[in-house]
Amino acid sequence: MPILNLLYENRDVQNIENLDVYEAHGGYQGLRRAVTLERQAVIDEIKTSGLRGRGGAGFPTWIKWNGLPKNFDKPHYIICNADEGEPGTYKDRELLLKLPHLLVEGMIVAGYACCGTAGYIYIRGEYVEPAWQIRKAIDQAYKQGYLGKNILGIEGFNFDLYVHMGAGSYECGEESALMSSLMGERGNPRLKFPHAPLPVIEGVWKSPTLVNNVETYCAATWIAKNSGAEYAKYGTERSKGSKIISVSGHVAKPANYEIELGTPLMELLKIAGGITGGKLKAVIPGGSSVQIRTAEQCEKINMDYESCSANGTLLGSGGFMAFNDKTDIVVLMRRTAEFYMHESCGKCTPCREGTRWIYKVLDRITSGAGRQGDIELLLDICSQIDGRSYCALGDAAAWPIVGAIKAFREEFEYWITHKRSPIGEDAVPPVPVVVNPLLTLTPA
Amino acid sequence: MSDNRLTQTEASLNRVTGQLVNIKINGIELQVPKGESVIESAKRAGVDIPFFCYHPRLSKGDAANCRMCLVDVSMPRKNPDGSVILAKMPKPQASCTLPADEGMVIETESAQVVRDRKGVLEFLLINHPLDCPICDRGGECPLQNNTLFYGPPTSRYIEEKRHFPKAYPLSENVVFDRERCIHCARCTRFTEDISGDSQLGFLKRGADMEVGTFAHTSYSSKFSGNVIELCPVGALLSRSYRFKARPWDLHTQRSVCSKCSNGCNIKIDYRLDTLLRINARVNDAVNEEWTCDKGKFGHEYVSSPERLKTPLLKVDGEWQEIDWSEAYRVLVEKLKAANGSVGGIGGQRCTNEDNYLFQKLFRDVLKSNNLDHRTSGNFGATNSTLYKRFGYHAMGNTIADLENMKAVFVIGSELVDEQPILFLRIRKAWRYNGASVVNAVTSVQESSTRVGDFAEVELVYKPGSELALINGMLNVLFTENLLPETGVDTKKLQAHVASWTPEKSAAETGLAADAIAKAARLLAKTPMTIIAGREIAAHPHYEAIVNALGNLVVVTGNMGNLNIPGLEANTQGAMDMGILPDSAPGYAPVEKAGMNTAQMLEAAAIGELQVLWLVGAELLEQYPDTALAQKALANAPFVVVSELTLTETAKHADLVLPSASFAEKDGTFTNCERRVQRIFKAFEISQDIKPDWLIFSEVLARLGVGVPYFSSRDILRAISTQVPAYASITPKSLGEAGLRWEYAGDQPAPTIVVE
Repeated sequence: MPILNLLYENRDVQNIENLDVYEAHGGYQGLRRAVTLERQAVIDEIKTSGLRGRGGAGFPTWIKWNGLPKNFDKPHYIICNADEGEPGTYKDRELLLKLPHLLVEGMIVAGYACCGTAGYIYIRGEYVEPAWQIRKAIDQAYKQGYLGKNILGIEGFNFDLYVHMGAGSYECGEESALMSSLMGERGNPRLKFPHAPLPVIEGVWKSPTLVNNVETYCAATWIAKNSGAEYAKYGTERSKGSKIISVSGHVAKPANYEIELGTPLMELLKIAGGITGGKLKAVIPGGSSVQIRTAEQCEKINMDYESCSANGTLLGSGGFMAFNDKTDIVVLMRRTAEFYMHESCGKCTPCREGTRWIYKVLDRITSGAGRQGDIELLLDICSQIDGRSYCALGDAAAWPIVGAIKAFREEFEYWITHKRSPIGEDAVPPVPVVVNPLLTLTPA
Repeated sequence: MSDNRLTQTEASLNRVTGQLVNIKINGIELQVPKGESVIESAKRAGVDIPFFCYHPRLSKGDAANCRMCLVDVSMPRKNPDGSVILAKMPKPQASCTLPADEGMVIETESAQVVRDRKGVLEFLLINHPLDCPICDRGGECPLQNNTLFYGPPTSRYIEEKRHFPKAYPLSENVVFDRERCIHCARCTRFTEDISGDSQLGFLKRGADMEVGTFAHTSYSSKFSGNVIELCPVGALLSRSYRFKARPWDLHTQRSVCSKCSNGCNIKIDYRLDTLLRINARVNDAVNEEWTCDKGKFGHEYVSSPERLKTPLLKVDGEWQEIDWSEAYRVLVEKLKAANGSVGGIGGQRCTNEDNYLFQKLFRDVLKSNNLDHRTSGNFGATNSTLYKRFGYHAMGNTIADLENMKAVFVIGSELVDEQPILFLRIRKAWRYNGASVVNAVTSVQESSTRVGDFAEVELVYKPGSELALINGMLNVLFTENLLPETGVDTKKLQAHVASWTPEKSAAETGLAADAIAKAARLLAKTPMTIIAGREIAAHPHYEAIVNALGNLVVVTGNMGNLNIPGLEANTQGAMDMGILPDSAPGYAPVEKAGMNTAQMLEAAAIGELQVLWLVGAELLEQYPDTALAQKALANAPFVVVSELTLTETAKHADLVLPSASFAEKDGTFTNCERRVQRIFKAFEISQDIKPDWLIFSEVLARLGVGVPYFSSRDILRAISTQVPAYASITPKSLGEAGLRWEYAGDQPAPTIVVE
C-alpha cells in the first residue's frame, strides 16, 4: 500500500483544526508522552525513527536536535520554516490549513527536547489563511496550557510560540536567510559552517537555534505519539517513514499524497490518476530546482532519497511535476530560469549575474535568436554558478537547466536551428511573445 | 603586484596570540592563529588571493559575496579505523571568511580555482559598462587589475547590459554610477560598521539590486569620502575630483591633514601646482585608514585663485603689491621702533618649526613674551589645571587607547565635528568592545552621525550647569557605593557633593534624575575615559569644571583618563613650542609672563601695543568678543598678518605676508595625542609664497641675528637638542607613523580637588 497516511491520518476529519476535535483524535498525546521521557530520550526516539528533514535537503533530524546545547544558559529558539516557496510544492500549506495543531504540538515537543524557550513559525507572506489557522491553533494551545508557563503542569517547562510572516521572498526559505529576515534584516543568507558556527550553536540573536520544516515537526509529533521504532517500520533502509508529495502538472488528480518512502515513481503517477493530454514526457520529482527526468528514466526511480539521487535527481521538497508530450522543455526552462532570476537575493556575484544571464540566453533562444554554442554557454554559466554561489539558491538555479539540457538536448538544438518550438503551435507552456524584437533578436 | 591594487591597505595582520594551527598554502607550510581568515594567512605566506568585497577593517559577516577569493580546501578527516586522510571540500570556499584550522590544506592556483575566478570576473563584467577611458577609477581600479591578472580575455555576453542613469548625485560630495557597481557591499558595510550612520543599503534584489539611501534621500554622513576609496570600481566618485585627472598623471606626496588636531595621515594627489584630491594613508595608531569629509574634501583653498601671491602693504587705505625686500624693510623698521611693545598671536595651524622660530624671534630678539596661540577662550595659565593634577596638558590617553575603554564620557563636545577620529575610535569601542558611552551636550545637532546615536545615555543639559551635572553624578556614585578602593581620601569630596542629590542636580540641569543616576552608574568602570570638548575648553568656569571632571576620573580609579584635546591641527605643537605668554618651548617657565591674547587685544585696542603679528589667526571669526578684536585691529599702530588668503582679519592689517599652506612646506605637526608627524612639500604655487619659518628666519637675519637654518629639518634638529620633550624627535626617528612624545618623570599621585 503506497499511500501511507501517517500525518494525514485525520486530515479529512471535520473541524480537525480545532483543538477539541484534534484532542478527541489523539491530539497532544505525543506531547504528553514526550514529557514523561527524559529530554535525551525524545531525541533518541527521533534518532530511532530515522526521520530526515522534509524541507528538501534530507538531513537527519536528530543530529540537529542533538546539536543544541543541553542547558538553559542561553535562550534556545525553535524555528519552523514554513516559507514554502519551491515551485511545485504545496504540502505545508495543507498541513498548516488543516492540521495546524500537528505542527504546534511538534514544535512544543522539539521545545521540550531541545531546552527551547521560544518558537517562531516563519510563514511565507502569501500564506495568509494558513497563518490565520496557525494563529488560531496557537491561541487555543495557550488556553489549554500547552503553551506558556509550566506547560502541562511541569514546573519550569516554558515555551512560547510566535508567528512571523515573510515578505514574499523565496530566498527567505533558505535557513540562514530566514534567520536574517526573522531578525528584521534584509533577507540575505548568512555565513555557514565552516565559516561561522552552526545555527544550533549560534543562530538567531547569537543563540542556539533549531530550524526544521513544517512536515518534519509534524512527523516528530507522530513519532512522539507512536514511538520512533513504529515510524522506522515504514520506508526503505535509509529513508524511513512517509513523505507528502505535492503532485501537479498533467495528471488527472493533482493533490498532496502522503506515500511511503520508496514507492515507485510510476505508482505515484498512477495514484494521481495518470497523465492527461498525451503520453508522459518528463517528471520533475522534487520541486523546480531538481533535475528533470525523462519518461524512460522515471521507470527506475523510487520516491526515496537514495533512489532519486542514484538516478541523477533529488527527492527535494516533494514538488512532483509531471509533463505530457505537449510540453516544450526549453520554454519550461525559460520560465524556471525567470523564477530564479526574480528570486535571487543579489548578494553574491554568480547567482545575481548568472541567473539573469541564463534567463537572457533562454529568452533569446525561445525568441528565435538562438546561436550555435548557446548550449555550451548555458552549461558553462551553470557550472560557474553551481557550488560557487553564497547559498544553495545558485545551485538550485543551475541544476534544472543542466538537467534539462542533459535529458532533452535535442529540443534545445531544435530551437536553435529551427527558431521554433519542436512541439509546434500548441506547446505548453505557450511560447512567449517577443515584445521587443530589435533588442532580443541579435543576428546569429 | 602593486600595493594599491585594491586599496592602499595591506590586510591588517592579526596579532599572533592564542592557539596556533599548522596550515599549508600552495605547499607552503606555516603556523597561523587559529580562526584567522585564510586570505590573511595567505598574505603571511606571500600568496596573493584576489578579492573585491573583503576588507580587513569591515565586518566579515557580510563579506564573501563577491566570490573572487574562492580557493580549494582540504581538511584532514579521521577514518573509523583511526587513519587520517585528507578530504577535499566538495565546493570551493571563500577564503576571506574561512577560519584557519589545524591541518587545513589550501590550493589557490588549481585549475578549478583559476577557472572559478575567470567565471566570477566574467559575471562581474557582463553588466559592468566598459567606460574605463572616462572613469576616474581607470588605472587604479581593482576590477581592471583583477581582470588583467585573473580574468577571461573576452566576454561571451551578447545581451543588453543593465542600464541606469549615470552620475546619480548621492550627496554633495559623492556621485554614484549604478551601472559600474559590482555589489561588493563595502560601502554599505562601512556606513554600518565604521561611520555608524547606516545610510547606504541595498534596494531591490537579484540583478536589479542597487546601492542606495532610504527613500532616495541625500547620503548625509561626516565620513562619506571613505566609501569612494573603499569602492573597488568607479561606482562611487568624488564630485570635486571627477574628470579632473588620470591617476597616472598625478603625483602623490604623503602628508598629515591640517583640518583638526587628530592628525590623520593622508596622501596629497596633485598635478603641477593644483591639489586635486586627498586620500587616506594608513596609520593604525591614528586614523587607521579613514578620513573625515572635512579633511578629504575641504582642500579647495590650497589651490584657490584667492591665494595671496605677493606681500601686500596698506598705503592710505589701499592695498599695494610689494616685493619681499620692501615688506621686510617696513616690518623690521616697525619692529625695531616698537622696542619690545610687540605681540604675536597664532600658530595653531603652523608647523612646530614655524612656531619654534616664531617664539625665538619674539623671546630672544624682540625680548617679548607677548605670545599666545589661543584665540577662542580659556586664556589662563597654560592648562595648569590639568597639568598640576595629571601631568599633561591635553590628552592622557592615546587615540588607540580609546577603543579599549569600557566606558566613555563625552562632555561639551559635538565630537564628530571636533575630533572625528576620536569619534570613530569611541564608536569602535562601543560596537566591537561593548563600551558604554555617555554623551553630555547643551544642544543636539541635526545630523546623521553623532555620539548621541549610540550613547547609552544622552544628557542635554542647560548651558552653564556642568558642575551641577558632575556633582549629581558624583553624588550617585557615593550614595550607591559604586566606587572602587583607590586609596585616595574622598571624604571631603563626598561631603561636598552630599547635597547634590540627583533630584537637585536634575532641577539645575533640566535633566531627569534617573538619567543622571543611570549615567553615573555606567561610568563606574575601569578603564573609563572622559573627553571634554570645545564648550568646556572655552568655558568661563573652565578650571572648576576640569577639577570636577578630574575628581570623577580619580574616584572611579581612572587616573590620567581625562582628555581635553586641542582643536586645531597644531594646537598641541604650538603649546609645546611655547607660543604661550607663560612658558617657553617644552613648557619651561619664563621669568616674567607676557600678555595673553585677551590682554594683547585690550592693549592694542587702546593703542598700547605697537606691533601685532597674527600668524594664521582668524581673530574676527574665532575670538569670542568680536567688538574687542575689531577695535584692537583698528587701533593697533601696526598689524602684520601672515595668511594664505585675504581673510576678514587680514583686511584690517597694515601688512599681509603670503604664507605657504601645509601642501607647500615641510615640517611637523603634533596631534592631540602628542604624536609628532611629518608633512612634506608637494608643490609650489608661487615663488613669492613662503613658509612661515622662512619668513621668521629672514626677519631674524634682518634684525641682525642670523639663524643657521636652511630647512625645516634643520629646525627640527635644533628643537630636538633644545627642547627636552622633543629629544627623541628627529627627522629620521619620525618615520611613516610619527612618534609620540611622553612627559618625563612620574605621573603625579591622584588627588581630590574641592574648592
